[in-house]
Amino acid sequence: MTDLILILAIFLALFGGIAALLVRSAFDKLICLGILTAGVVLFLVEKGYLDVAIVVSLLMPVGTIFILLLLGKKQEAAK
Amino acid sequence: MIVPPEFIVGCILLLAGVIFTAYPREKTYLTRLINMEVAEFGLVFIMLSFNETLALVTFVAVNVVTTLIFVRVIEKKEGA
Repeated sequence: MTDLILILAIFLALFGGIAALLVRSAFDKLICLGILTAGVVLFLVEKGYLDVAIVVSLLMPVGTIFILLLLGKKQEAAK
Repeated sequence: MIVPPEFIVGCILLLAGVIFTAYPREKTYLTRLINMEVAEFGLVFIMLSFNETLALVTFVAVNVVTTLIFVRVIEKKEGA
């Protein structure tokens, strides 16, 4: 059971990270970054660091909102 | 000696993130900023494998402030 969660976390983190690096559109990059964050939170919960999981879950959307602030001004990012 | 899986995942993410930050597919500031976040998560994974709780909390909290400062800098640079 624990191994299944570990395999799932590795899958989420690796695929989210590689996809965030390879995809060209900036909005798609942010979505793939969300998948990577899901993998990080799953790893943290599996190792028992619930306080760090709280911090990551609360602060990563704030960083995404900051990047989105920059992204709203670019017209060519929407294509 | 057995290597924990989060260390391997962290090393892969850190190396790939650094390489793609240096040589991105589209050479814009925004692409480099988002690719740098992937490398930051790789460092989070490596610190997780060494059981450094306080370092993890501090690094994640400071990352958001760093992102805010970079966003302000890129806004000024692209607005000029």
